[in-house]
Amino acid sequence: MKRFSAFLLCIIMVLGLFVVGCGTNKQAQSNQGDTAGDIKAIKDRGVLKVGVKVDVPKFGFKDPQTNKIDGLEIDIARAVAKKILGDANKIDVQGVTAKTRGPLLDNGEVDLVIATFTITEERKQSYNFSDPYFQDGVAMMVKKSSGIQSVKDMNGKKIGVAQSATSRKALQEEADKVGAKVQFLEFGTYPEIKTALDSGRIDVFSVDGSILAGYLDDTTTILNDRFAPQQYGVASKKSNAALAKAVDETIAEMKKSGELDKLVQKWGIK
Amino acid sequence: MNGPFADYKWAALARDWTVFGEGFAYTVLVSLGALLLALALGIVFGVLGSSKWKLARGISRVYVESIQNTPLVIQIFFLYHGLPHLGIMLPVFAVGVLGVGIYHGAYISEVVRAGIQAVPRGQIEAAYSQGFAFWGAMQHIVLPQAKRMAFPPMTNQAVSLIKNTSVMAMVAGGELMYQADSWSSTNLYYGPAYIATGLLYLSLCLPLATYARRLEQQSEVGA
Repeated sequence: MKRFSAFLLCIIMVLGLFVVGCGTNKQAQSNQGDTAGDIKAIKDRGVLKVGVKVDVPKFGFKDPQTNKIDGLEIDIARAVAKKILGDANKIDVQGVTAKTRGPLLDNGEVDLVIATFTITEERKQSYNFSDPYFQDGVAMMVKKSSGIQSVKDMNGKKIGVAQSATSRKALQEEADKVGAKVQFLEFGTYPEIKTALDSGRIDVFSVDGSILAGYLDDTTTILNDRFAPQQYGVASKKSNAALAKAVDETIAEMKKSGELDKLVQKWGIK
Repeated sequence: MNGPFADYKWAALARDWTVFGEGFAYTVLVSLGALLLALALGIVFGVLGSSKWKLARGISRVYVESIQNTPLVIQIFFLYHGLPHLGIMLPVFAVGVLGVGIYHGAYISEVVRAGIQAVPRGQIEAAYSQGFAFWGAMQHIVLPQAKRMAFPPMTNQAVSLIKNTSVMAMVAGGELMYQADSWSSTNLYYGPAYIATGLLYLSLCLPLATYARRLEQQSEVGA
């Protein structure tokens, strides 16, 4: 009897998870009917909730001295808030990681994710992505003492990449081209990859070039090679179509007016 | 239909099931290695901890307290990121087996100690009177009796051990949790990924936990 009830409990738990899943689906469908519902919800709340990176200098970075999060992506969030709410300061930013940004969008904890989020076809199925606001290439950081000059020198080397990063695929293709056999290790955050580079667990630290620049120090150098253009987009929940449209318009206006270029210059990116 | 549990995300999971299969196999291997190490350490330090020599008890105490009172994550980080700075580069599999094995060895040693102390003193005294030395008395007289007491909690330790191998995900360990993180953070199909992963851990741990409960019931009846 006890064993049976344990079994039953398991079944109920698993079913429970499905019900949660279906519940969100239903909600998603009803939102599609009312196109402006998502915008209205933000207006009623009076603040735009945005998920940003806190460990990528110049894009989204929490200054340990002031505890303030700032960067290009926060400025973009301000522009979107101005468009929707008429006030650039009505944003509520919170830090996200590669692992949390999807779930936070799905459960409505954030309206937008602007967090060096590379646009891919696969991801477009799950979320709305705006037109790209920035394009970057995958770059590689190595220890100066390693003597690695380019991908050609990477035969048998270990490459540390970030979870969710598209750099793995790009780098694998490059390595295949020159016939270098490489091994990939994935880590949850950028500082962890840097730690692994320092301890010699990996030979190469490879993520998007602009992110990498923030981790440069005396013992390391960034190779000149750049691969696979990575396009960053603003992501929103698939059902929030009106919000996605407003974001797209904002990005388009910022591109047209030259404001986006100015921001990129302001933050000294490339 | 969209959302974290959309149909096409489950289809993708079914297509890429080998990723999870690989991680599952790796988790089983690391768990087995770590369990063997933990049992060996647990028995040695458990016996030392219940011995009459002060020094042996002291050594066992230091091991148990230092391991039980620091987080497993820090121990794994030390083995993975710290040791290379001292010139020791352990493969990640060894980091998993050593880290998790040493961690649970400390807990199992307490289980073993409790088991030994539950065996009446008269047993070991009788063994001595029959000409057994300390280790012989332990091996042939005390430990077989302690085993009955220690087995159910030890099986529970095995369950925790399996679950704790998941900390290897933080150091690119290649086991089940790492594969789930890796797969789901690329395509963002985290819904099916973590349900499947949870069920796989459940399939390893539930039979063990059930077994432990049954052993417990048996020993209650027997006692």
